[in-house]
Amino acid sequence: MTIIALVLSILLGTASLAIGYIQAGVTSYSLWFLLLAALWLAAHFRKWYWFSSIALFVTIFAAAYGVWHEFPTVWMLFGALGGLLGWDLSDFARRLSYAAPMDDTRSLERLHMGRVGIVAALGFGLAILSLFVRIHRLAFEVAVGLILLATLGLTRLVMGLRKY
Amino acid sequence: MSRSILLGLLTYGLLLTGIVTVKGEFIALALPLVTYLIVGYLQAPEKINLEATRHLNVERTSPNSDVDVTVIVTNRGSNLEEIQLEDILPAGLTIRSGPSSAVRTNRHLLRLAKGESYTFAYTVSGPRGGYVFDGLELRVNDHLAVSSSKVRVEAKGRLFVLPPLTRVRNIAIRPRRTRVYAGTIPARAGGTGTDFFGVREYQPSDPPRAINWRASARYVDKLYANEFQQERVADVGIVLDGRLRTNEFASGHSLFEYSVQAAASLADALLNQGNRVGLLLYASYLAWTLPGYGKIQRERILHALAGAKTGESQVFSDLEHIPTRLFPPESQIVMVSPLCDDDFAPLIQLRAQGYEVMIVSPNPVKFELSYLPTIATVQLAGRVIHMERAMLLQKMGRAGIHVLDWDVAEPFDLFVKRRLSRSPFWLRAIGR
Repeated sequence: MTIIALVLSILLGTASLAIGYIQAGVTSYSLWFLLLAALWLAAHFRKWYWFSSIALFVTIFAAAYGVWHEFPTVWMLFGALGGLLGWDLSDFARRLSYAAPMDDTRSLERLHMGRVGIVAALGFGLAILSLFVRIHRLAFEVAVGLILLATLGLTRLVMGLRKY
Repeated sequence: MSRSILLGLLTYGLLLTGIVTVKGEFIALALPLVTYLIVGYLQAPEKINLEATRHLNVERTSPNSDVDVTVIVTNRGSNLEEIQLEDILPAGLTIRSGPSSAVRTNRHLLRLAKGESYTFAYTVSGPRGGYVFDGLELRVNDHLAVSSSKVRVEAKGRLFVLPPLTRVRNIAIRPRRTRVYAGTIPARAGGTGTDFFGVREYQPSDPPRAINWRASARYVDKLYANEFQQERVADVGIVLDGRLRTNEFASGHSLFEYSVQAAASLADALLNQGNRVGLLLYASYLAWTLPGYGKIQRERILHALAGAKTGESQVFSDLEHIPTRLFPPESQIVMVSPLCDDDFAPLIQLRAQGYEVMIVSPNPVKFELSYLPTIATVQLAGRVIHMERAMLLQKMGRAGIHVLDWDVAEPFDLFVKRRLSRSPFWLRAIGR
């Protein structure tokens, strides 16, 4: 189940980027995305799990590059999301290889797929929302509240990162 | 690089680019990553409190026998979404069979709710040695593995793989001094016993059957009685030679396992005879097991032998530093050593100090020839070294050291029976 999801995620990420780039008229890069997908899959099956981090970086960078050059944003978003899912599932597959045959990996897989699906949907939904919702005027109190919330969130993130 | 750091850097990069370029699309691109990070951190375990207990079906076993290890892990803290668990095996032990054998690992991936327990088992085996199980190494993740903590949980366990013990009976030793308790070692003193010791004048407390009528007939007014040799227990110090240069040979061949086996069998036999036995391992350091009697002492010696290893040290490269003060004066020293040329002088020194020295020497020449190719030059070299060794043993024999040259191809119990056993008293009584 994880492997299928992983392959689909990698294909979703790289194909979305390729389509986005083709739609923008930059066809030469599309082949590179297909090559990235092939390399990523090959690296996974050869157990070079470190490659997924590089692939994530490449997909995010490619999506950001696309956004910078005003390529279709939805495809770039799909590309970044596919990269994120591929990266997550590649590491999850690595962790699953740790399990003994008697371990209940099926329920772990089911649970992980569910959680990652929710996270992806939530992330994508928020991103789409942020693209379409434009707030032209914001009350001062609301702005202060949002700034405080952002600061709190960032502090929590930094504290979390400092632990590792 | 940790997963959270990579994701954090990418998120910050996108957010900063979005702010700098005033382009909302970059922020939109960062939002799935931010969601991922936030959900990951929110699911991070609040309190990790794991306990583990270990059970071994045996605590002492023989080499390469199967031992079942069962570990129970209990979660006393909050729910843990994902635990990568590895039971650290002591070096030398290998997993033989059991549920986890298919992947040849004692690792598990699991999820533990609050108060839940997880039990796993596997089977190990290993060569002679003392093994200590320390504990489990666990990596506790949230479901997205954004936050991850490494935890070590103690689950102590000890396993002794004891040397193989071949039962040997009636080892004939004869130290100059014995202890006061009755045993089986001839004490060089008259009294009650089975072996004839001498004739003395009849004492009123002597039983009439002790009267030597033939001697008494020669005198008119005196009776003479037979005196028998007292049999007592003795102090025995077993010295196991663990020097690298005498035990280890080319291509990883070693005589040490045979020496350990011999020492274990001798200790067992001597303790069964009621003697007080101590053990000195002479290797890169001195490991001394204090002398004692009985089954507990046998366990102590076997445990010491389980952990015995060869070693090299400049100080203990020859036998000059055997601490003789550890052994009671005029007691029996049983040395188990393949011997080398330099050992002659220190052993003579021991003999001169009044110790009764017996050497059980696994034959290194025959051992080495057994695995070398049978070509003429090897055979010639073997003959030369064999002669040198024979001369060394002969010199030792002349100096009053009882040397037993053991070809390790022969089982130790048969060898001891042939060379060391003392006939039971009823056989000695009929002169056999």
